[in-house]
Amino acid sequence: MNAALRHVFLASLARRRLATALSLVAIALGVALGLAVQLIHGAALDEFGRGMRLLAGEADLQAVGGRTGFDDALYLTLAQRPEVAQASPVLEVEARLPGRDQTLRIFGVDVFRAVHVQPALIPLAETEDRLAALAPDALFLAPAAQAALALAPGDTLSVQGGLDETTLRIAGSVPGTGVGQPLAVMDIAAAQQIFGRIGRLTRVDLKLARGVDRATARARLGPLLPAGVTLLAPEAAQAQVAGLSRAYRVNLTMLAVIALLTGGFLVFSTQLLAVVRRRQELAFLRALGVDRPMLLRGLVAEGAAVGFVGGLLGVALGYGLAALAFRLVGADLGAGYFEGVAPQLRFDPLASAGYLLLGVAAGVAGGALPAREASRMQPARALRAGDEADLLQARPRWAAALACLAAAALACLMPPVGGVPVFGYAAVALVLAGSVLALPGAARLATRVLGGARPALLRLAHARLAAAPGQTVVAGAGVVASVALAVAMAIMVSSFRTSVDDWLAQMLPADLYLRASSAGASGFLPPEVVARAARLPGVAAARPVRYDTLRLSDERVPVTLIARAVAGGIALPLVAGAGGDAAREPGGLPPVWISEAIADLFGLAVGDTLALPLGGAAHRFRVAGIWRDYARQHGALVVELADYRVRTGDTLANDVAISLAPGATVETVSAALRAELGERTIEITLPGEIRAISLAIFDRTFLVTYLMEAVAVLIGLFGISASFAALATARRKEFGMLRHLGLTRREIGRLLALEGALTAAVGVAVGSAAGGAIALILIEVINRQSFHWSMDLDLPFAALGAFAAALLLLAALAARLSGSQAMRQSAVLAVREDW
Amino acid sequence: MLEIDRLTKRFGAPGEPALFAGVSLRLAPGECVAIMGESGVGKSTLLNCIAGLESVDGGRIVLDGTDLTALDEDAFARLRRRRYGFVFQAFHVLPHLTLAQNVALPLWLLDVPDDAAQARARAMLGRVGLEARGDDWPRHLSGGELQRVAIARALVHEPALVLADEPTGNLDPERAAGVLGLLLECIRGAGAIGIIVTHSQAAAARADRVLRLTPGGLQPEAA
Amino acid sequence: MRRWLAVFSVLVGIAGGAGAEYPPVVPGTALVFPDDTGAHPDYRTEWWYVTGWVADEAGVKRGFQVTFFRVRTRIGEDNPSRFAPRQLILAHAALADPAAGRLLHAERAERALAPLAGAASGRTHAWTGDWSLEWRDGHYRSRVADDRFAFDLRFDPSGPPMLNGRAGFSQKAPDPKHASHYYSRPQLAVRGSLRVDGATHRVSGHAWLDHEWSSELMPEGARGWDWIGMNLHDGGALMAFRMRGDAGETMWAAGTLREGGGAPRALAPAEVQFIPGRRWRSPRTATDYPVEWELRIAGRRLRLQPLMDDQELDSRRSTGAVYWEGAVRLLEDGREIGRGYLEMTGYGARLRM
Repeated sequence: MNAALRHVFLASLARRRLATALSLVAIALGVALGLAVQLIHGAALDEFGRGMRLLAGEADLQAVGGRTGFDDALYLTLAQRPEVAQASPVLEVEARLPGRDQTLRIFGVDVFRAVHVQPALIPLAETEDRLAALAPDALFLAPAAQAALALAPGDTLSVQGGLDETTLRIAGSVPGTGVGQPLAVMDIAAAQQIFGRIGRLTRVDLKLARGVDRATARARLGPLLPAGVTLLAPEAAQAQVAGLSRAYRVNLTMLAVIALLTGGFLVFSTQLLAVVRRRQELAFLRALGVDRPMLLRGLVAEGAAVGFVGGLLGVALGYGLAALAFRLVGADLGAGYFEGVAPQLRFDPLASAGYLLLGVAAGVAGGALPAREASRMQPARALRAGDEADLLQARPRWAAALACLAAAALACLMPPVGGVPVFGYAAVALVLAGSVLALPGAARLATRVLGGARPALLRLAHARLAAAPGQTVVAGAGVVASVALAVAMAIMVSSFRTSVDDWLAQMLPADLYLRASSAGASGFLPPEVVARAARLPGVAAARPVRYDTLRLSDERVPVTLIARAVAGGIALPLVAGAGGDAAREPGGLPPVWISEAIADLFGLAVGDTLALPLGGAAHRFRVAGIWRDYARQHGALVVELADYRVRTGDTLANDVAISLAPGATVETVSAALRAELGERTIEITLPGEIRAISLAIFDRTFLVTYLMEAVAVLIGLFGISASFAALATARRKEFGMLRHLGLTRREIGRLLALEGALTAAVGVAVGSAAGGAIALILIEVINRQSFHWSMDLDLPFAALGAFAAALLLLAALAARLSGSQAMRQSAVLAVREDW
Repeated sequence: MLEIDRLTKRFGAPGEPALFAGVSLRLAPGECVAIMGESGVGKSTLLNCIAGLESVDGGRIVLDGTDLTALDEDAFARLRRRRYGFVFQAFHVLPHLTLAQNVALPLWLLDVPDDAAQARARAMLGRVGLEARGDDWPRHLSGGELQRVAIARALVHEPALVLADEPTGNLDPERAAGVLGLLLECIRGAGAIGIIVTHSQAAAARADRVLRLTPGGLQPEAA
Repeated sequence: MRRWLAVFSVLVGIAGGAGAEYPPVVPGTALVFPDDTGAHPDYRTEWWYVTGWVADEAGVKRGFQVTFFRVRTRIGEDNPSRFAPRQLILAHAALADPAAGRLLHAERAERALAPLAGAASGRTHAWTGDWSLEWRDGHYRSRVADDRFAFDLRFDPSGPPMLNGRAGFSQKAPDPKHASHYYSRPQLAVRGSLRVDGATHRVSGHAWLDHEWSSELMPEGARGWDWIGMNLHDGGALMAFRMRGDAGETMWAAGTLREGGGAPRALAPAEVQFIPGRRWRSPRTATDYPVEWELRIAGRRLRLQPLMDDQELDSRRSTGAVYWEGAVRLLEDGREIGRGYLEMTGYGARLRM
């Protein structure tokens, strides 16, 4: 059987190189994309987890708060508790580096404490000076940070705290951190001073006393913690971050699944057509004594071989893609989930084997149905030529189609599973399946509509469609799937882009923005600086914005707090409730505006009360409105700056939104700001630039989906082309007869084109309807459940129309070209070959 | 020994009229029989029934004591692999295999290793007058040569029974005679049973017996 | 390995932060008690050093030692952070148990940060975590706990502090700038509990406390020192030390001798002679220590014999320091006349100071 398998079955793949190559490419692409996503995020998650474990060291529990941290008196309290064997204070700062476009994660630690709890963070001094680690200007760089910053011990590095620049000495390294953690360590007192964080800590790591378990410790220590500070096991923090990125990772993986599906579908259509073509050969093999299981195995092996080779190619390509992505966009694919790690690409045998298997599975799945059809045929009949149409029969399956659609509708009502819209994806698959099942019925409907057509060619085309609806199904199913996905993505991306654009306009109402660094980094603006900016000529108003993060629950990552002026006509992109002055009830609780993510994740609605941990105490706020936020999937909330300051005493600002006086220009005011505040320590951004950059990032993010669409459309066209090429041979007699009846060669070409266009038209019509439905699922279910944001539906009619027209035209062309080419080839071959 | 006992085949479902009925035949090893008949009388169908490619509606086919009509489709296929050889009017020489590979095909199906299979195939090609052409491709061959390849393939695995359906139907008369002679010689030489369906009187004349298929059964042809 | 943590070697050898200069130790400064039993945070280095012999209910004799060091770093003196490492508190404890055959020891290092670690002014009170040494209600009390041993001891003085050198000005080298303020509390009566090998014992015995603060101690070229503090059975006390040069030569020596019932007398360099006797080689560090000595003190010939040979402190894996510090007997004419502690530094690598 092995030699027969090799020479009879597998060798047939080599005889249809184009079809095999396309199937290979599609499967390779699917495997490569899936594996690359897996590798990149696997490496990032691994490194992230390794970093967390490394930084947590031997800690059993960590007291953590928001980004700006908590009062360091908590450390003294915890360190004296009998439940605690060792407490180690940490001040983590994302240091802005003036003159560089990188930031540096700096851990301020007490080395005397860290040695017991986080030994990996112990610095190693270059010099013999025993107190080097305590020196206020000594910075110790992990190997990855030395590499990233191109710095060696003895060099100096400027860091920024607030608007002040400090020059630090690279006094040595942090050898315990390994290669993937670009961080730095310095003395905690110096860090507090340099970064303007006197009295603040971001973390206290606890090693518990012997015999004290975590639950006991949490129960006893919990009441000592100020509001907004929680005790987490180090793994919990890691799991929270991993959970946050899960939906995004699944989303990307779904793209790979689509590629794999199209690959499997290509294998299906090429195998089905190959089976039609090789009908007699297969019948002859049956006569020689090949039993049905053997035939089935042989044909499935063809699909499996395509899947295997495509999978191998895909695995190699996947590593290439992952390496490229690491170099070009970083480990999080630009989505910002894993900042501060520099993971290395590693060979992952399990994932590689898994995706290789998926490739094989796609090939096997694609090959299985045609193989089953072939094994069922009557060899005695098939040995005689001319009954290909047998295979191309297709019954309408309205009931099954409707059942799929109904199931899809039900699946849309289900909640996400572990933050992943599992049922949403199932609904998409069901809609796709339903639309393919509806295709035979749609083809029949189309033949009825065309029934009264006059022109002879149209009648002939109609007759062919009616006689072999299976051809429409085989050729059209690819079109349906590709059109559905393309239309769905087009509608979703268009809706998303329009909504993001509107959102940006509403979020950035000022003329320019001044800041000392990004909100997460170490720059900030003291109130006197804001006042100085406000007094500059040409500045009509300077409204400070303060960012922090708040822990609203032990189970979730902190949400972003934005304290800014909301009253006075500065709108939020609200989807519910009221903004501005209308939100404040006299004598009532102060207002908070929550993003859709918070509304979803915490089950909050307008009018509800929400306790916010501000300044170490819980303060009650009333949910005045829900707003749309495309920037912070973990959730964000807005409070009035005045409400924030009163409760925290914190008067610093991260951003200042500057409105210009009439007559003033952005250029003159920017220049004045730079002159007043210094060139190196401030950043000035214009809303237009932010918008342009944001939309550019948006478009780049979706570039890969456009590519996938193109591939899908190509595959759909290929389905048409392949089916016409295959059947043209069999229809040689028919065309010869038509020629005898007086049709010109050109007219036969037009007939083929018409048939192709009609087949495609049915596919496009069904696919567009399915695409619209899938777009709705993507917007209302998958995006909402994955990222917790809504968007306004925007139908790109012109683009969709052009797309449909182009597809019909291409289908006509493909049908005509492949049909006529096959005719010419077969005319030569027919002399010598007997079938 | 092949014994066919009162074989019946209907056009479709039971109850429909029979294509043929009461076909009985006994053949000993080394014996070659030619079957003639009108077009549409079911000669090829009879051959297909004997080969198990079509079901029968009555009667029995027993080969060397095995009741073939009791076998299911796949068991019959496995039996065909070992004990049957086929020669078709349309040759069915696979264009993408060399001559040796084409002839080796039945041996491959019997799990004979490729080297041994091709060696036996080349020897067999020698016996049909195509020695040293094992590496040629079918497209370089004439119809007569193609049918020689088919004969070699039908006999390479030493079958008990060789079925030939109009083996000379696509050949001109001179070539037809040569090919038929070769076929009979090979079948007899192998000690197999041969059943040849043909329209050609000349061809039939070279068989041990000539039978005519009628709806009522097989009748000896008047010599 | 972790060079930064060689804290005991840090004692005085500080490259120096940017804070104010260390005050010099000058003769003629009158020590005032009890104020001067507390910390002197302006000086570079200060220590409270308790050593002694105790016996348990069964009469088993053990030596013990507990030390609190205070180091001023001159780092972060302008930093309002509570973590500013202006002062470091280092603590060290050891137990010489002949049953174990070698020292059990433990150490702690912290930046001074109330209430976790510190050294108070005004009266003796130094602590880090649950380790402490405190003067209160007319006696000292020290608590130390580690995995392998722990003790909680009370020390009752039998007389006033014994000022060393010239009224507490103790010169350490020919140049008088190498000097410390130094007084001792010999003949402390010890009572308390001691846990070792999981068993807690009631113990009693005699101890010796040194309190010394300085800004510049070791002269250039010094390799180490030898020091003894002995409680004499007749109620007297003997302290003697010598500073050794690279070749083992004596660079400076001095001491204080209080005869039983008499007044303390400062010993001039010429009155103190250390003559090394039997040597013992450490199997861990391959360092040779003279574990027996002949002493010529003010014309008397005395001998030192260790409680056990192996009283080496090998802290290479944590603090990096290696020295010998252990319980010894003082003999004269073959008769034991006192018990106390001997400290020998600089026999292996040069002691970094």
